[in-house]
Amino acid sequence: MKTLRIVKSAFKSLGRNKLRTFLMMIGVIVGIIALTMVVSAGMGARQRVMERVRKFGLDSLMIRAGGGQMLGRESGGQPTVTLKLEDAEAIKREVREVADISPQIHRPQMEVKYADKSTTTMVLGAMPSFATVWDWGAAKGDFISEEDVENVARVCVIGPTTRKDLFGEANPIGEMIRVGSVQFEVKGILVAKGTSPAGGDMDSRVMIPMTTMMRRLANIDYITNIKVRLKNAKDMKKAAGSIQALLRERHQQAPGVPDDFSIITPGEVTETAEKVAGTFNLFLILVAGISLIAGGVVVSNLMLISVSERRKEIGLRKAVGARKNNITFQFLIEATAVTLTGGIIGIALGVAGAKILEAVTKTPMAVSWQIVVLGAIFSSLVGLIAGIQPARRAASIQPIEALKP
Amino acid sequence: MNDLIVQAQNIQKVYNPGKTSEVVAVRDVSLDIRKGEFVAIMGASGSGKSTVMNILGCLDRPTSGAVLLDGMEVSGLPDDELAKVRNKLIGFVFQSFNLLPRTTALENVELPLVYSERANIGRMARMALEAVGLNQRDHHYPGELSGGEQQRVAIARALVNEPEIIFADEPTGNLDTRSSYEVISLFQKLNGLGKTIVLVTHEPDIAEHARRIIRVSDGRIVEDRVNEHPKSAEDELRKLPGKEVKE
Repeated sequence: MKTLRIVKSAFKSLGRNKLRTFLMMIGVIVGIIALTMVVSAGMGARQRVMERVRKFGLDSLMIRAGGGQMLGRESGGQPTVTLKLEDAEAIKREVREVADISPQIHRPQMEVKYADKSTTTMVLGAMPSFATVWDWGAAKGDFISEEDVENVARVCVIGPTTRKDLFGEANPIGEMIRVGSVQFEVKGILVAKGTSPAGGDMDSRVMIPMTTMMRRLANIDYITNIKVRLKNAKDMKKAAGSIQALLRERHQQAPGVPDDFSIITPGEVTETAEKVAGTFNLFLILVAGISLIAGGVVVSNLMLISVSERRKEIGLRKAVGARKNNITFQFLIEATAVTLTGGIIGIALGVAGAKILEAVTKTPMAVSWQIVVLGAIFSSLVGLIAGIQPARRAASIQPIEALKP
Repeated sequence: MNDLIVQAQNIQKVYNPGKTSEVVAVRDVSLDIRKGEFVAIMGASGSGKSTVMNILGCLDRPTSGAVLLDGMEVSGLPDDELAKVRNKLIGFVFQSFNLLPRTTALENVELPLVYSERANIGRMARMALEAVGLNQRDHHYPGELSGGEQQRVAIARALVNEPEIIFADEPTGNLDTRSSYEVISLFQKLNGLGKTIVLVTHEPDIAEHARRIIRVSDGRIVEDRVNEHPKSAEDELRKLPGKEVKE
C-alpha cells in the first residue's frame, strides 16, 4: 500500500516536469534505437546464413577446386586444374557414407543469344544427378539426361530469367540458342529459385551436359566443384575426412603440402559466419552500448540537478515522515520509469527503423521478442544504475531543508 | 506527569562547534508543555526561537540535553526513527506554506499519509480539508489559491495524520491581516478541540492569542507566562472593515 503510494508519487513528480522527463529520456531512446537495430541486423545476418545452409542441405558438403577457405568465391587468377570428373566418380564409388554426387563446371559471364536478343549469364556443365543432389530440376520440359551426357548432346536447360530475356512469353522448348559459339537446343526451363544468398540471380543460369561443356564449349578436363550428398547428415565429419584422404591420394599430394581442394561442410559455414558476424556484432553492440551509457550519464546528471532543485520538497517529505529508504526508492523509481519508458519508445522506433532499413536496403533484419525483452531489461538497468547516486543524495537531505527559504 | 507532551531538559544547540565561526543558537533551555496547551514562542529574528521549535519538533537535534515527546526520549534516535515520530506525533505548519507545486490541495494534504501505514488516505485527507473549511477546493492547485487558503491547506496537511501536537513556524508571516486572523482562529478552534499547538512568531499581537507565552532572547528563555486573557481571533475578524466572511 505504502510502496504503491510512493510509486505513484514518483510518477506524479515526473509528470510535473515533463520537459526534464523528456530530456532524460532522449539519450536512452537513441541508445535503445541503436541497440535494437544493431541486434536486428546481426540476427538477420545470422538467419540469412542459416537459411543458406538449410537450403544447401545439412546432409551435403561441397568440394571446391583450389585450397584456402574463402567462402563462396570462385578462385581468382589461375584456375586450379587438379579436380577431375574421375575424382567425383571415385568419391561416389569409394566413400561409403556418400549417397550421390553432382560435379559442376562453372563458366561465368558467357554470352547467350537467341535471334536478335542476347544476355550474359553463368553457364553450368552438370550431370543428371544435379537435379536430385540440388533438388533443382526442370519446371517445364526435361532436365539433362544420361543420354545427353553420353552423346555430348548440344542441349540446354535455361532459367526463367534467361527465358524471359530471350523469349519473352513465347515457348522456348525446341528452340535453338547460341551459347558462346555453339548452338544448343532448349529442352527445359529450370524451377525458379530466386536470388542467391550472395545476391546473384540463380534463375538466369543456363545448364548444359557436363561432357558438352568439357569438349564442345570450354575444352577443359577439370571441374569447378562437386556437391556431395550423404546418406546420413550425422556422418558429415567422417565423410569429409575420407574424402580428404581420398583426394590427397588421388592428387598424389605429399604430406605437409596443403590441400589443392577445399571441403566445405554446413557446420563450418555456420561456424565461420558466426565468428565473423559475432565480432562485427560485438563491435556494433559496444557502440550502441556506449550511446546507452551516455544516455545513462545524462539521466544521472539531470536527476542530480533535479535533486538540488527539489531540496525543499525532499526536506518536506522527510519532515512529514518519509524515511531514507522511501526517498531512495522514489528516486530510483523515477529514474527507472524514465529509462524504461525511453527504452520502450526506443524499441518501437528501433523496430520501425529496422523494418524501414530492411525495405529500403534489402538488408535482412530479424526482429524478435528477445530484442524487446533485452531492450526493456537494459533500459531499466541503465535507470537503476543512473539513479543510485541522485537517490542517495536525495535521501541524505535533512528535513530541516524544508524550512529554508 | 504523563500529560506532558513535550519535555526539554537543558537543551543546547551550537553550530560549528570549536571553530571561529561557532554560534550558540540555544543555550540551556528547559521547558515542559502539557497536552492541550496553546503556546506561543516569541522572540526577535535570530533569538533562537525557531531552533528551539525545530529541536522540539524533531527536525533538528540538540548538541546536548534531552527532548522527550509524549514521555519518549527522542533526541538520540536515528533519522528513520525520528521520521516515524514526526509522522505519527507531529504536524508542521511553515511560514512559506511549503505546498508541492502543480499538485492538488487534496494530494498535498495526503502527503504525510503517503508515508504512514494507513489505508483510505483520500478519505482522511478530505476530512482534514473539511476541518479547515476548504473541502470545495480539493482539486485546486496551490497557484489557484490565495495565501490564506494555501496556509489552511498546509494546516489540513498538519492535521491529517491526527498528531498530538502541531508546530507552526511563523504561520502568519506571509499573510495579510485578515488571512492571519483566519489562520489563528483555526488554531484556536483546533486547540479548543484538544490539540496541543506550539506557535513561533515575532509578532506580539499574534502571540497574544495563545494561552501561554514564552519569550526567547539570545538563545535563552527570558519570560514564560500564562496569558490570562487570550485574544479571540474570531472577534478580531469581526472588527475588521468589510467583514463579510468569504467562503
